[in-house]
Amino acid sequence: MFFAYLKDFWNKFIPMVLSELKIGQKAIIKRVLAQERVKERLAELGLIEGQTAFVVRFAPFFDPVEIKVGDVYLAIRKGQADKIVVEKI
Amino acid sequence: MNKKIALIGNPNCGKTTLFNALTGTYQKVGNWSGVTTEKKEGFYKKDKSIQIVDLPGLYSLSARSKDEMAVIDYLNNERPDVIINVVDGTNLKRNLFLTTLLLELKIPLVMAVNHYDRLLKENVELDVELMSGVFKSPVIPVSALKGINLDKLVSEAVNRRTVAYFDLKALYKGEVGVSERYDFIEKSIPRFFKGQLKKGEQITQRIDNVLLHKKWGIPIFVMVMLLVYFVSIRLGGVLGGLVQTAFDELEFSLGSAMTTRKIPQWITSLSCEAVIGGIGTVASFLPQILILFTLLAVMEQSGYSARTSFLLDRIFRTFGLGGKSFIPMMLGCGCTVSGLMSTRTIEDRNEKIMTIYLTPFIPCGAKTAVFGWFSSLLFGGSAVVATSMYFLGIFSVCFFGRLLKRFKFFSESRGSFVLEIPELKPPHFKDVFFVLKEKVKDFVTKAGLIVFVFSVILWALRNLGFSGYTNGEVEKSFLFLIGNLLKYLFYPLGFSSWQTSVAVVSGIFAKEAVIETLNLLSNSPKDLFRSGFTAFSFTSFILLSPPCIASIMTAHRELKNKKLTFYMLVFQTAVAYVVSFFINMVGIIVNHLNRLILPLFIVIIIIVAFSFSIKKLKTCDKNCSNCKSGEKCQKTEKRFTT
Repeated sequence: MFFAYLKDFWNKFIPMVLSELKIGQKAIIKRVLAQERVKERLAELGLIEGQTAFVVRFAPFFDPVEIKVGDVYLAIRKGQADKIVVEKI
Repeated sequence: MNKKIALIGNPNCGKTTLFNALTGTYQKVGNWSGVTTEKKEGFYKKDKSIQIVDLPGLYSLSARSKDEMAVIDYLNNERPDVIINVVDGTNLKRNLFLTTLLLELKIPLVMAVNHYDRLLKENVELDVELMSGVFKSPVIPVSALKGINLDKLVSEAVNRRTVAYFDLKALYKGEVGVSERYDFIEKSIPRFFKGQLKKGEQITQRIDNVLLHKKWGIPIFVMVMLLVYFVSIRLGGVLGGLVQTAFDELEFSLGSAMTTRKIPQWITSLSCEAVIGGIGTVASFLPQILILFTLLAVMEQSGYSARTSFLLDRIFRTFGLGGKSFIPMMLGCGCTVSGLMSTRTIEDRNEKIMTIYLTPFIPCGAKTAVFGWFSSLLFGGSAVVATSMYFLGIFSVCFFGRLLKRFKFFSESRGSFVLEIPELKPPHFKDVFFVLKEKVKDFVTKAGLIVFVFSVILWALRNLGFSGYTNGEVEKSFLFLIGNLLKYLFYPLGFSSWQTSVAVVSGIFAKEAVIETLNLLSNSPKDLFRSGFTAFSFTSFILLSPPCIASIMTAHRELKNKKLTFYMLVFQTAVAYVVSFFINMVGIIVNHLNRLILPLFIVIIIIVAFSFSIKKLKTCDKNCSNCKSGEKCQKTEKRFTT
């Protein structure tokens, strides 16, 4: 019980980015740090703050990374994934 | 009835399949590209007064990419009577985003929920009436693949005259941005869509675990490409040989028939050698090209091509390109024109230009045919020529790509890489057939027309000289003169006969013409090449020099800039010359090794020094005092990260 609280606390306050997630770990997108153009493009495809996403796999050399947001499978560069702040569920 | 219907929807929603199903053979494609990046026009096969236009797939209408702008332009300039919004039933959330945008355009709209066969199979409930109510437009579940409800779709579309009253602003009381739209969609979907689609996704994921495997993904891909390549060359080569033989027989029998009827020599010669000969050479490449295009289309349709971008992006980035550059190069294996056309999907201007400059280095179908011919001429038919040229092409892309990147012009990269990985599906052969039909038609027109014209010109230059008709005495012809003038240019490259000079020039029309020219101008083309290395030098030159005129025109169309096109020609010619020269030198050295060890040593030192000096050229232009090397400069660190 206590550990659940602790874990919850940890998840909420320690910032994590998309690329740091383990494969299969679900997370909510908190912030997308990118240029306006890029942010809009990602948003149109479903990558918005508040959506649930998880990492499906990494490409050879760990770049790009395939994620699933909503129902869509997207591939984005690791550099981009490094700039998407998420909160583990 | 005279209605104009526009098909609009996300990429990969099955729009094109629907278009093919509705128009059948009554369609006309605007371009070569294997990807739908140009509009296709056609007529409904059951009522030819209904025009249907298939627009490029897009995710939104924000005019951020060329595709989106093209669609917006089309909607503004050629107001269609009704829009059929094709929505992928297996991927509703994202597809409906575009729908919310389209409904605000004030054009009558009808929704087609595609992949209905999948929905039925997986026992998913779709409440069509409710959905119509939500979006204030008729909704028709269809299956483009299985032909379900297609007629109903068209009749609904044609009868749709009112514009939907769909106002999200009122619902959200103010600004409606991306989040609001998705919010609306997320709340609406559960109302009319009940169930989950598991099977297709699971199968795709399982297969992807193999295809996109971190370790094995790339080796598997390499094997797939080799397979594609070998099948098309071997099988295509065999069939092509048959075609060539058929044409040779035709040429011969026509020739003898005309001669016995006492038709003037020059007419006989023109019809047989120039016309039939020319067409025959080109026709013999058709089987190879057909097979290659089919295999590439299958890759594209099944969804594998998108995955190759995913696998290769990182590798390509070290050469200044991106995963999206791979598709043009892959298509370039079949025909450089196709490859260049598909560069349209590259958003980053610099990446696009570089891809256009480098794609012609990949051996196209025609060039491969040339290598195949060389192989049977000089190397006993072994695959070593074609394979090594393929590797040379790839190497040149990497090496000269890096070189280009060192110029400031290319070192900035603005683009973002976002790729949707589509579900894997078995290729729909009707679609593949239509793509193929278009490519063949274009290839034949290009080859038929250009090579035909060229054949006649070549024939004229060979058979006419200052003293009139040469009647077979080649020394008197214009061609001989031109070749002899040009041959000095090629002296350092190892092949300095007038025949080879003319052959290289003929390559500008079509690379296949090189074979035809050499055959035509020399009784024994084999003797034109002193050694294996000379032949390699020649084939390398053919590989790397500027591509055929059709490709150059395509490149110009994509570059939209005369200066850039000119630079491309200069760049490619320089690369071809340098590489050929290098190969020739290697050949000479190998043949005279003992006498050349010292000069060779000196040359190596010079080359090494030169390459170090090139490193210095890549400078930062800040001119900080005491700055010795530009590369590790703290102040300009930002410049050198990708």
